[in-house]
Amino acid sequence: MPVITTRNLSKVYNPDTVPVHALRNVTLTIEEGEFTSVRGPSGSGKTTLLNIIGGLDKPTNGMVVINGTTITGMKDSKLIDFRLNNIGFVFQSYNLIPVFTAYENVSFIMLLQKRSKNEMKARTEELLEAVGLGSKLHSRPRELSGGEQQRVAVARALASRPKFILADEPTANLDTASAMNLLDMMERMNREENVTFVFSTHDQRVIERARRVITMVDGAIDSDVQQNGDRKYAEE
Amino acid sequence: MSMYLKLAWRNIWRNKRRTLITVSSIMFAVVFALFVESLERGAGDLFIDNMTRFHTGFIQVQDFRYEDEPSLDNAFFYDEDSFSERITANDSHIDFTVPRIETFMLAAGAEQTRGAMVMGTDVSGENRLNNLEDRLTEGRFFEPGDGTAVLGEGLAGRLDLAVGDSLILLGQGRFGMTAAGMYEVAGLVKHPMREMNNQLVYISLHDAQWLLSADDHITSLLVTPEHVRYADSVAEMLRSRLESDELRVLTWEEMMPELIEAIEFDRAQTRVMMLILYVVIGFGIFGTILTMTLERLREFGILLSVGMRRLKLALVVFIETVFISVLGVLSGFIPGFFVVLYFHYNPIMLGGDMEELVQEWGFEPIMPTALAPDIFLWQGLIIFIMTTVICFYPTIKIFSLNILNSARN
Repeated sequence: MPVITTRNLSKVYNPDTVPVHALRNVTLTIEEGEFTSVRGPSGSGKTTLLNIIGGLDKPTNGMVVINGTTITGMKDSKLIDFRLNNIGFVFQSYNLIPVFTAYENVSFIMLLQKRSKNEMKARTEELLEAVGLGSKLHSRPRELSGGEQQRVAVARALASRPKFILADEPTANLDTASAMNLLDMMERMNREENVTFVFSTHDQRVIERARRVITMVDGAIDSDVQQNGDRKYAEE
Repeated sequence: MSMYLKLAWRNIWRNKRRTLITVSSIMFAVVFALFVESLERGAGDLFIDNMTRFHTGFIQVQDFRYEDEPSLDNAFFYDEDSFSERITANDSHIDFTVPRIETFMLAAGAEQTRGAMVMGTDVSGENRLNNLEDRLTEGRFFEPGDGTAVLGEGLAGRLDLAVGDSLILLGQGRFGMTAAGMYEVAGLVKHPMREMNNQLVYISLHDAQWLLSADDHITSLLVTPEHVRYADSVAEMLRSRLESDELRVLTWEEMMPELIEAIEFDRAQTRVMMLILYVVIGFGIFGTILTMTLERLREFGILLSVGMRRLKLALVVFIETVFISVLGVLSGFIPGFFVVLYFHYNPIMLGGDMEELVQEWGFEPIMPTALAPDIFLWQGLIIFIMTTVICFYPTIKIFSLNILNSARN
């Protein structure tokens, strides 16, 4: 079963005044374990697509099915719970809770899921160890570098055991070494734990590492390419 | 829950200076409010205490005609034993009773004559009610039927009388009988109410009844409950039992409606001042919460994105507001308590015109604060209610937050 399916997704901003077509009939399927990058110039609709897949925005037309559940039209409170249990988010500017330590930032998500204390502790330590921050469990975000903060953000995204992770420009604020470290770590998670990653990016370093690259232009999928060169899907 | 508490606690310290300023403003307001409220209550309580203990008592039993026509003709028959057996012994909230017979007479010394209020009373009961013996400045109190009198210092001065001198009382007894008697001045008291100090003559109940041709009659029976809070229930019990005796039962509030109105008016003024103060505190807290909310909208959006429910987020902000107000209230309670305690035992002494005015009314020119726990509780409660109301703003903001807009903020 695909993890993400979209059917004829359209998004029009300001439909009554000056309509802006952010998405035009986007249909795509992402299978479990994929490491996919959505690329495109600014205004091409990649962030809108990720927002709608993540249930943060509503499409004007079309539908989104996550792991067999249609989220289009879901009530706000149900959608919040759905996101908590099914989707992990990594943001461009990390967005950690500044007053929490790395440990608390990660375990907070599990607290929202009402996991047991023991499970929270074990998983938080395991995740922070996995992202290479086992020695900085009790550091607050301001005591961490940008790369380290983004790794905490990845650990936080993974904490809820989501079906997939949506990462919006995860490397945009990182230097090359930190970006490569982060990508190594995410690739390892993908390979070893079969975590599905979907990135929106125009960072060439990310695009080169992705196994599938979807290119968007003017709100539509321009090309959909496996990195081995096969053209999987294309829409003009 | 501990994680939410931790989050809220740390959030309020993100901007230490702002939180400290808000907490300090609440603290000063609480200290001021506690002081003003305690002072107003303390002065009012002293006022009532003086009036009840030295004048009306807490509950009075009178002939039903006496209030409209306070004359000896409207005294009532009183037999202590049967009254006690029938009425007072059956209510555990009654502490003791004091029978009094009161009338106005002419009092004369060797050279001077003045109008005087003659009070025939049971000195032991009177002493239990108002520690009258502690007010004795010279001499001693009388024994029942020993033919002596105790005078207020003011009256003694006007009549130029001292302990050991003779006092003449002249007036009208019950049903128009002539009343005249001579008494040795056994002692002088300094009455706290100036008006009383200038006109009061105490003689024993037995002597007064004989002087006024009112054997076994009294004009009022003062009933003292164990605590002032039982006054209404004791009065109610007495009413039900004395209904058929042509007797009337009055509580101190019913006997002094003008006094109650004056106190209520004074309290209303204080409340207006308090209201203004609370509005100022309220805006202080609101300003902090408003800033804390607006500068964190993006963070709120992120928390909602990752799966935190709006209600829980609103709860965290509510806890933050409660933390700030609790810190302010508690830090106000501590100095506030000591300020109130100090002025309770060292009352403010009124001076100048105010002293004159208060003495004219017949009261001691002092203003003590009241040590009343409910004043502290009310302060906490009012600030808590205010906090809850203020929390509507961030709550509404959180519930109407557009995740994308806030995340783009």
